[in-house]
Amino acid sequence: MPTTPPRPFALLAELTYRCPLKCPYCSNPLQLARYKKELDAETWQRVLTEAAALGVVQVHFSGGEPLVRRDLATLVATARQLELYSNLSTGATLADGPRLDELKSAGLDSLQISLLDINARSNDWLAGTPSFEKKRLAVELARERDFPITLNVVLHRHNLDHLETIITLATDWKVDKLELAHVQYTGWAFRNRAALLPHRSQVEHAAKVVATAREELGGQLEILHVLPDYFQEFPKACMQGWGRVFLTVAPDGAVLPCQTAREITGLEFPNVQNESLNEIWFSDPVFQRFRGTDWLPEPCQSCDRREIDFGGCRCQAFLVTGDAAATDPVCKLSPRHELIETAMAQAGHEPTPLEYRVFGTAPETTSGGR
Amino acid sequence: MNEKRKLCCPVLARGVRYRWDDLRQQHQLLFPEGMLILNDTAAAIVKLCDGRSLKNLEDELSQSFPHNPIQTDLLELLDRLAGRGLIDDANNAS
Repeated sequence: MPTTPPRPFALLAELTYRCPLKCPYCSNPLQLARYKKELDAETWQRVLTEAAALGVVQVHFSGGEPLVRRDLATLVATARQLELYSNLSTGATLADGPRLDELKSAGLDSLQISLLDINARSNDWLAGTPSFEKKRLAVELARERDFPITLNVVLHRHNLDHLETIITLATDWKVDKLELAHVQYTGWAFRNRAALLPHRSQVEHAAKVVATAREELGGQLEILHVLPDYFQEFPKACMQGWGRVFLTVAPDGAVLPCQTAREITGLEFPNVQNESLNEIWFSDPVFQRFRGTDWLPEPCQSCDRREIDFGGCRCQAFLVTGDAAATDPVCKLSPRHELIETAMAQAGHEPTPLEYRVFGTAPETTSGGR
Repeated sequence: MNEKRKLCCPVLARGVRYRWDDLRQQHQLLFPEGMLILNDTAAAIVKLCDGRSLKNLEDELSQSFPHNPIQTDLLELLDRLAGRGLIDDANNAS
């Protein structure tokens, strides 16, 4: 029965959960304060070495805000020595000239910069802190240094209607690629779901805007549009399958099949401080738990799509149905699909305040106070 | 997007890197947020995309593969890679 799993191609290295921004759809865990201890540079260098030996070819340095780590360039240089392709996912508010120079000479391959909306007023409201101007400047500085730049805009109810302007802005800022990713409702986003879920008409309009822009812009700007799974018939192949292509190492050294997996209670995650990545990937029970298709429940088990979507997102199944081994409820064939329909019907009926990401207070204790 | 591009001097675009994966015995083309697995022919072509002229590239290839004309492969591959923004023209690279 046990076949050797494929080797992973990509490592998400979450260097820290610290971040100057407070985005209400952050994919970091709600209980940020629990994971304050961060791996030191030496341990990260070992992790990178083990990842390369395991088969990883791309490393995404992320967070939180990876630029809060002063040793980031050292880690980038290690990745380069190991012939890993390195990408930095950043809010870019800390990306000044000297910092970018340092990363360039360390061998950083590409930059992904987040933007929340089309102007300072709206961007800064969503980020919970002034950041638009800093982002604009960082894109300019990165361009001067010849980094390939992807501008990443997370889409939701409050910015979807600005999509034309978002695309114009990406063209004006001369980025190489624009990634438009709808909010994935896990982590902080699940907490803010009622405030963030768009109306179906907004989503449909957005698809048309993207199609028109692609035609008009041709090769000038590559637009990647990740569709929102709540509005699809079938779930997405989350992580292209659990423990199949990706792995995440969290700031405290926990190794996760996906960055939001620690929301699933009852799973005990391995840690790079106790075991090697190789042992973890091939033998750890958490990585085996939802790997492949043997574990799939019905209706997935007898479904033609089981090798396409592997039952969808485990975190979503857990958050929405309470059972991490259930069919992803966004699937129209899920017996619990009505939970998604109800959430969509309820969203946006009354103005819901955004709950910003905070570091230090466990939100459970404050949620009753609003 | 679909019209054929006529490249004068193909060069790997910014942020695109060729890599031999020793573990998987595989040619890879890496770029921001993605990768392609290349066969031997494609890898031979990609490795010559260093800004030299298309003519020079063709000559070099026909020396490496004398019994296996890959002229059509070449133009098709370059067109596909250019369509995905993975190669530029050294003459008007931004």
